[in-house]
Amino acid sequence: MTPFFQNKTNRIWCLAAIGLLIFNVWNIVSNTPMVPDQHWAQKIFYVHVPSAWVGFLSYLVVMIAGIMFFIKGDDKWDDLGLAAAEIGTLFMALVLITGPIWATPIWGKPWIWEPRLTTTLILFLIYIGYFMMRSFGGHIERIRRYAAAVGIIAFVDVPIIFVSVQFWAPEIQSHPQVEMAQQPSGILIPFLLSLGIFTILYILMMRYRIHVIRIKNMGVENV
Amino acid sequence: MFLVLLKKELYNEFRSRELILSMLVFGLSIILAYAFTSDVSRVIVANYAPGMFWAMILFVTVLGIHRSFSYEKEMDAFSMLIAAPIDRGLIYLSKWISGFIFLTVMELIVTIPFFKFLLIDFPPNPLMALGTALFINLAIMAVASLVSGVAMRARLSEVLLPVLMFPLVSPVIIAATKISGGIMAGDHYQLWQIWLLIIGSIIVIFGLVGYTLFDFITEE
Amino acid sequence: MLSVSHLSKSFNRRPVLADITFEIATGETVVFMGKNGAGKSTLLRILARIMACDKGEVSFQNHDLLKGAPTTRKDLLYLGHASGMYSALSAVDNLSLALRLRGMRTSKEMIIEALTHYGLFDQKDDPIAVYSQGMLQRLKLTYAELAEWTLLLMDEPFSGLDDDGAKLMHDAILQWKSEAQSLCLVLHDEAKGKLYGDRILRIENGGIQESLCF
Repeated sequence: MTPFFQNKTNRIWCLAAIGLLIFNVWNIVSNTPMVPDQHWAQKIFYVHVPSAWVGFLSYLVVMIAGIMFFIKGDDKWDDLGLAAAEIGTLFMALVLITGPIWATPIWGKPWIWEPRLTTTLILFLIYIGYFMMRSFGGHIERIRRYAAAVGIIAFVDVPIIFVSVQFWAPEIQSHPQVEMAQQPSGILIPFLLSLGIFTILYILMMRYRIHVIRIKNMGVENV
Repeated sequence: MFLVLLKKELYNEFRSRELILSMLVFGLSIILAYAFTSDVSRVIVANYAPGMFWAMILFVTVLGIHRSFSYEKEMDAFSMLIAAPIDRGLIYLSKWISGFIFLTVMELIVTIPFFKFLLIDFPPNPLMALGTALFINLAIMAVASLVSGVAMRARLSEVLLPVLMFPLVSPVIIAATKISGGIMAGDHYQLWQIWLLIIGSIIVIFGLVGYTLFDFITEE
Repeated sequence: MLSVSHLSKSFNRRPVLADITFEIATGETVVFMGKNGAGKSTLLRILARIMACDKGEVSFQNHDLLKGAPTTRKDLLYLGHASGMYSALSAVDNLSLALRLRGMRTSKEMIIEALTHYGLFDQKDDPIAVYSQGMLQRLKLTYAELAEWTLLLMDEPFSGLDDDGAKLMHDAILQWKSEAQSLCLVLHDEAKGKLYGDRILRIENGGIQESLCF
């Protein structure tokens, strides 16, 4: 199997992702307007929300990989599902870290049971269970089936979790964040840019992670 | 065939009397723990009573459903079920409905010590409390049966089951607490009926997903 | 009647069965032999649809056994190491349930008659948790006697049986052979293998080696 960076497409993705990330940081720091009341803390929004977007996207990929695994029976779908689960959980952890960083100067306390953060926490915990199940599930051939099932169950539950958490404590306001469509273009455009760049980063991470998983599988098989 | 499986579950429990009894005893010990940790203060308990009740039911469910699937593994009885020429989704349905029945029986019995030992007033509308409790039990068991089906062959299944189940069942617990809180406060049902919708969607979605997925997860 | 092609099964990527292909004709008795851990029980469990395989196709009575509807396994009966029944229920209840799940309505009288024939009348109402290994084997024999099947998969039928029990098993196997039923037995005893089997399939290193019995 060729090393990851010998492949031209991968090199392009990598350089593009790094370049765009650096650009993104510069863009957020210098080109975005300063929101009154929040000042620098608000800039986390450009990282926090795209992280959540990538995390949820990744969990959707886990569910699709699970369904395809059951339909096709090909192990490659489980490789995709595992990579997506790991990277999704990583980004969800980022959301759970940047959330309190944003919240502390605004709310005065690091954690608040805000609907989106709570949903993220619940999903994060579900995926801790997913990884535990992968560790304890027995032989790898059986683990693949269980993982596919849990991936499907988890994402199917997401909308219900979100709605219930939303109605749970309506008096807790969402993060100070005006609806996306109503944002002035000075905020909206850098946000969409950041979103796109995070997605490109996600694709790169997925390609790399799947590559590593495949190498590991090959190595174990040839022992 | 579903009725054959359901009768088997009920008859097995009738013969062994393991599940309801152990769930009951566990429930009572949780009530005891509640009494000690709240000093049985009327103020503390009255505010938290619905949540405490459903948290107790959650723990008891884990015990019950784990045992329900464990006895399938004794003497490899489960292989007889899955080798039989029957739709395996029916196994999930039988576990779900039998679990629901056991949980409801246990709940009916444990309600009295819960209210009496913790000095809580009975709800003003007991029939509505009963009806909603049945609905909630159905939802909890739908999730529990599916997760237990996945976890049953894993190592440390008694740990894996609650770790997987609790986050997945959180909408039901949130809804259950809101509904019970509303009923205890004597609120008009329109104030909490939205939560019934959430519980209903869990029942439908997990019922369908469980029935479909069970065939894929039962084989060794 | 049963056609297995390119069946593979690995545990943690260690292949136990590798590209197994064989057929069983109607009325044939095939004996599987091999060292401990060779994969004989695994193969039987895959055929019984209790264990999933990684790759391969199995055709039973011209239907796809692995991907087909549940009814495709209607005529296939598996008796494994363990009893495959509920420890809290009695022999009568267990047999009644097992047969009912196969779509058979068998009267209690018939079940008790069969249990009596296999020497389990006195314990017929006791929960099978109290049964010895030999008694459980007799229970499995009773089940095979009562159930309708065209292919029987039996994993070590003689294990735990005393002389009387072994005689009953011997008679049952010969009876089924004379009725042109297909049998798939896992045995450890070479002599028994040659006695009952039309063919012996030895599982070794994930593959199959065939020898005929004359």
